[in-house]
Amino acid sequence: MTLAETKKLPSPVGESKTRLDVIEKVTGAAVYTDDIPFGPGLLHARVKRSPHAHAKILKIDYSKAEALPGVKVVVTGEDFPKRIGLYLVDKHIFARDRVRFIGEPVAAVAAINADIAEKALDLIEVEYEPLEAVFDPVYGASPEAPLLHPDMADYDVPNYIFPQAGTNIANHFKIRKGDVERAWEQCAAVVESEFYIPHVQHVPIEPHVAVARWDDDGTLTLWAASQSPFAQRNLIAKSFGVSQSDVRVIAPLVGGGFGCKAGVTMEALPVAIASKVKGRAVKLTLTREEEFFTNFVRQALVIKLKMGCDADGNLVALKNTMYWDGGASTEYGVNITRAGGYNSTGPYFFPNVHTDSLCVYTNHPIGGAYRGFGMSELHTGIEQTIDMLAEKMGIDAVDFRLKNCVKGGDIILTGMTMHPTGLNQCIEKAAKAIEWGKEAKPSSPNKLRGKGIALMWKAPSMPPNAGSSAEVKFSEDGTVTVSLGGQEIGQGAFTVMAQMAAGVLGIPYESVRVRGPLDTRYSPYEWQTVASRLTWSMGNAVVAAAQDARDQLLDLAADHWDEEVEDLDIVNGKVISYKSEQEMSVKDIGIYGLPNENFEGWKGGPIVGRGSFMPTYVTNLDFETGQGDRAVVHYTTGAQAFDIEIDKETGRIEVLKSASAFDVGRAINPELVRAQIEGGFIQGYSSAVYEQMLLKEGAMLNPSFVDYRIATAVDIPIEHHVDIIEVPQDDGPWGARGIGEHPMVPTIAALANAIYDATGLRLEGPPFTAEKLYLAMLDAGLVE
Amino acid sequence: MAREAHPALPEFDYIKPKTLAEASQFLSEHAGESRPLLGGTDIFVRLRDGAWKENKFLVDVKGLDGTDVLTFDEQTGLTVGAAVCMNRLSSFPAVKEHYPLLAEVCDTVAAYQLRNRATVVGNICNASPAGDTVGACLLYGGILNVFNVGGTRQEALNTFFVGPGKSVLKPGDIVTSLQLPIPPKGMIGKYLKLNRNNRGDLAIVGVTAAAYPNQDVPSGVTVRMALASVAPTPLVVSAIEDYFKQEKLTSDTVQTAAQLAMDSCKPIDDVRGTARYRSLMVRNLAKQALTALLEKM
Amino acid sequence: MTIHTITCTVNGESEVVEVPAHWTLLQMLREKLGLTGTKNGCAGGECGACTVMLNGAPVNSCMVLGVECDGATIVTVEGLVKDGQLDPVQAAIVEAGGVQCGFCTPGVLISARSLLDRNPNPTEDEIKEALVGNLCRCTGYVRIIDGIKEAAKLNEPVVIKE
Ligand code: FES
Ligand code: FES
Repeated sequence: MTLAETKKLPSPVGESKTRLDVIEKVTGAAVYTDDIPFGPGLLHARVKRSPHAHAKILKIDYSKAEALPGVKVVVTGEDFPKRIGLYLVDKHIFARDRVRFIGEPVAAVAAINADIAEKALDLIEVEYEPLEAVFDPVYGASPEAPLLHPDMADYDVPNYIFPQAGTNIANHFKIRKGDVERAWEQCAAVVESEFYIPHVQHVPIEPHVAVARWDDDGTLTLWAASQSPFAQRNLIAKSFGVSQSDVRVIAPLVGGGFGCKAGVTMEALPVAIASKVKGRAVKLTLTREEEFFTNFVRQALVIKLKMGCDADGNLVALKNTMYWDGGASTEYGVNITRAGGYNSTGPYFFPNVHTDSLCVYTNHPIGGAYRGFGMSELHTGIEQTIDMLAEKMGIDAVDFRLKNCVKGGDIILTGMTMHPTGLNQCIEKAAKAIEWGKEAKPSSPNKLRGKGIALMWKAPSMPPNAGSSAEVKFSEDGTVTVSLGGQEIGQGAFTVMAQMAAGVLGIPYESVRVRGPLDTRYSPYEWQTVASRLTWSMGNAVVAAAQDARDQLLDLAADHWDEEVEDLDIVNGKVISYKSEQEMSVKDIGIYGLPNENFEGWKGGPIVGRGSFMPTYVTNLDFETGQGDRAVVHYTTGAQAFDIEIDKETGRIEVLKSASAFDVGRAINPELVRAQIEGGFIQGYSSAVYEQMLLKEGAMLNPSFVDYRIATAVDIPIEHHVDIIEVPQDDGPWGARGIGEHPMVPTIAALANAIYDATGLRLEGPPFTAEKLYLAMLDAGLVE
Repeated sequence: MAREAHPALPEFDYIKPKTLAEASQFLSEHAGESRPLLGGTDIFVRLRDGAWKENKFLVDVKGLDGTDVLTFDEQTGLTVGAAVCMNRLSSFPAVKEHYPLLAEVCDTVAAYQLRNRATVVGNICNASPAGDTVGACLLYGGILNVFNVGGTRQEALNTFFVGPGKSVLKPGDIVTSLQLPIPPKGMIGKYLKLNRNNRGDLAIVGVTAAAYPNQDVPSGVTVRMALASVAPTPLVVSAIEDYFKQEKLTSDTVQTAAQLAMDSCKPIDDVRGTARYRSLMVRNLAKQALTALLEKM
Repeated sequence: MTIHTITCTVNGESEVVEVPAHWTLLQMLREKLGLTGTKNGCAGGECGACTVMLNGAPVNSCMVLGVECDGATIVTVEGLVKDGQLDPVQAAIVEAGGVQCGFCTPGVLISARSLLDRNPNPTEDEIKEALVGNLCRCTGYVRIIDGIKEAAKLNEPVVIKE
């Protein structure tokens, strides 16, 4: 059986199985990092943070803190000279010489309890000399701006990231396809636009927490709420100069990640502190406030667009300039900028493209991965501009999209050939669900009504060779444990992997166990739980491992029965022969093997299936043009649509109907796919109407749930219609693609287009709060 | 700079006195470093935020004389003990029957589980301009019973607030209960609150309006209004009451009155909203609230 | 720092606990009683992950002092399973798919149980209103709401099948 060829799904693949982890989660038995007991020897850490957005550190005096009874150690940047970073290695664990954002760690204390650690923080005296700060990425990219990382040229960086020495530009990604300047002449209509998408936070309900212990033999154990135990092992080993094999990361269940628990964020802090108190476990938990203002953020974006089409409404040219507000460190953000660049047309075919995607250092919090990895921000600009152009041409926005959206066989902006995609069906489904084209009157004279649609595409954004691996092992009773290194962050990864393993092996789903915690000492390697890549990449590895185990079982049975493997199968936990109609249970052979005739020796042994997967077909892109054979593995596409009303007396939006349609290739577990779409849509909606980190001179003014509002149960749209489209993917298990991030990508744009339809107004950017809408309507004379 | 909050509550001692006198004595002896504890929902948040660094003691006054009472009397009206939580209050039959506006405002505060701890008296004592329940208590003519070892006294709510977070209370004062007189016959009310999302937020603006038949004024109906989050203290709009002495409540006068409400408030810009938006929302919500009264009448 | 010795009933068991004056009920449950099902998502009364039943009514356990619970009766998520049977709210939320990362789930379940205790047949709006204080970042709430609707129809506990 080769996967790409399997058309018929083996049970239980394609069935909506109940989550594996759900009973432990509803009974309170599920263990998250903060729940692990460490006994009375545990030390509690607190971090002293910079109150300045940009300043020189003149002096740190922690003698008083050190003298406080109960304090075991105080550390500062002096203790940790090496940098750390996922792509661009530009970050110190604790600031050295200068601080670059408000909240940057400057020093830390570990004490016998949190109260003492907290008190000790007040005893640390830091003298600063404030420096000119940069809060605007456009200014930051200009030659006038002060340099925030004068040593950038010396930083380690992979060969597909392009820092511009002597500037604040940490990555400059370009697309040059066709000739945009000449193309404008062919255009019947050209529109220009500019949008600002502000910083937002991930807001998992579980705050970051990590516990570290160094032992005298030089080994490190780190327990962390983590999407990326292996990436953490690697980066921490490098930064502390130890072997990856001597770093053990244990990662229990994660209470929501959305990207913020990927890479190394706060985990390096307890590791650093613990290195000075060998043998003691040191725990650091972020407060909700720290979660808001010190943690990786979704970077803000300034996007400037110029787009044109010919007289028939065919898109001709796009000029896209993006300034990403990378923050004080761009170790992760440089790759978001790259993703923004190689996806910069959105899901459309343009013969001429000119893109500059710039990652700019600023004195804002550090940008990191957030569900969608730059795509919500990019599409907020692209999808509104598509509407503007369609309007200018007098073409219906849905028709315009159907005509121009990317189709299988198109040569897309990077030169890659697009694979088959169901985007057209997604557009039609989403439009139909909100009765696109049917006139809809407001329910009262106090309301304005409008409809809007937006599309999206997104490829997994990762190094070209990000890999996965898995093992399949039998227990004596014929049940199977799948070991893997990808994390269960709520998306249902463990459940889907169990379905795949059961499907390949031919055993019941109930016989498969996938359990955490992940443990880099024992779990097979996985790059990171990000990029919506587990179902696809880890899925391929699990399928390979299950196939390997299956082959071993069948070989053994074939040998035993003296038959051909081709005549055998495994059905419902039994190896059967279609030819001789013999059968035996896998439980009798999974561990103990089989005796030879008359017990003259044995054959077989404990079955261990192993599998790994790494895409081998992704190519680098040319620095000057962004062209290459295959920029990415594949694209998930989709559409969302809204039918809304706006209250003329308050500016509040009420959603009458909303719809999502995504092409997931193949839904391994349809209800889990729907759950991802529903949850992602609400997260997108929340960011569209409520969320923004209010940053003033680099200080966050709303670092709590009191003033950073997220959608609650009473805020969700009344009706959200979900369609799943399945156009199979050639490199995915049974054709599956990821769907974790995509549902929040087009939401802001779809809502913005509905707002425009209702009011004729385009706001600079989200969130579309009642206040912003009301005042805009007032200024436009729509309300009194 | 951005706020730095404690992981949990900073250290303090917990005092559980047996009598009000003992509690008051302790609070006045430890003025500035002790506070009375009711539901704690506001105190804990502020302590975590690093406010009141000098605080050393919380004095639990729940259960002390009179703080747990919730009674209704046809003559004297409603007595709400300081420790009575909002859920208990809003589901109390006499409140639903005689003070429906009070029940309505309680249910707009934060979330259900918080309202099992939060108290109306606590909401008043915080003297937050954003308090949802304060407007209704003002319009019901609320009076606070205050115990102090120096003697008990009453404080009328309309002179109780001095500034944001400031009231006339002095060290050693313990508010034991809130007294609401029997409302005027035929009184109707409405609370409109603008949240950033649909519920559970602090008010961007809050408009409480009430009306009742009154033969002593030429119009025959007294109309009153209180505003939240638009001035340094909860604000009763006297201009509204004056206006409706002469004018009847009609769809036309509602417009003028709404403008009066807007003119009387002095909102500021903060993270929840700009002064400009707040002013306009006072006007629009005042209009809606008065229209609702008109429809109920 | 004063340590108080209090007595309370937690999930039907009588407990004697030594708790520092400034510790919240949330800290006491997690760190003194090992009941880590109740979660800390904000320590500020906003997220609801710490919701427990105190004397029959749901409260944010981060907004109650441990010492205030002397003599109290407390039920946490660990107390919902009785004799190996899931409470109807647990069973229905499992069935509806209302759990993703699970971090909000303990608080959601206590809020749901409490809603059905005081209002056995809630409307959809009443269910949503009862959940205002329980933030969930994963599910978009739809399946949680569906689960509670279903739970209202089940009045019997449900045997855990695994
Ligand atoms: S932890 Fe108590 S409400 Fe968030
Ligand atoms: S399931 Fe993750 S927060 Fe609710």
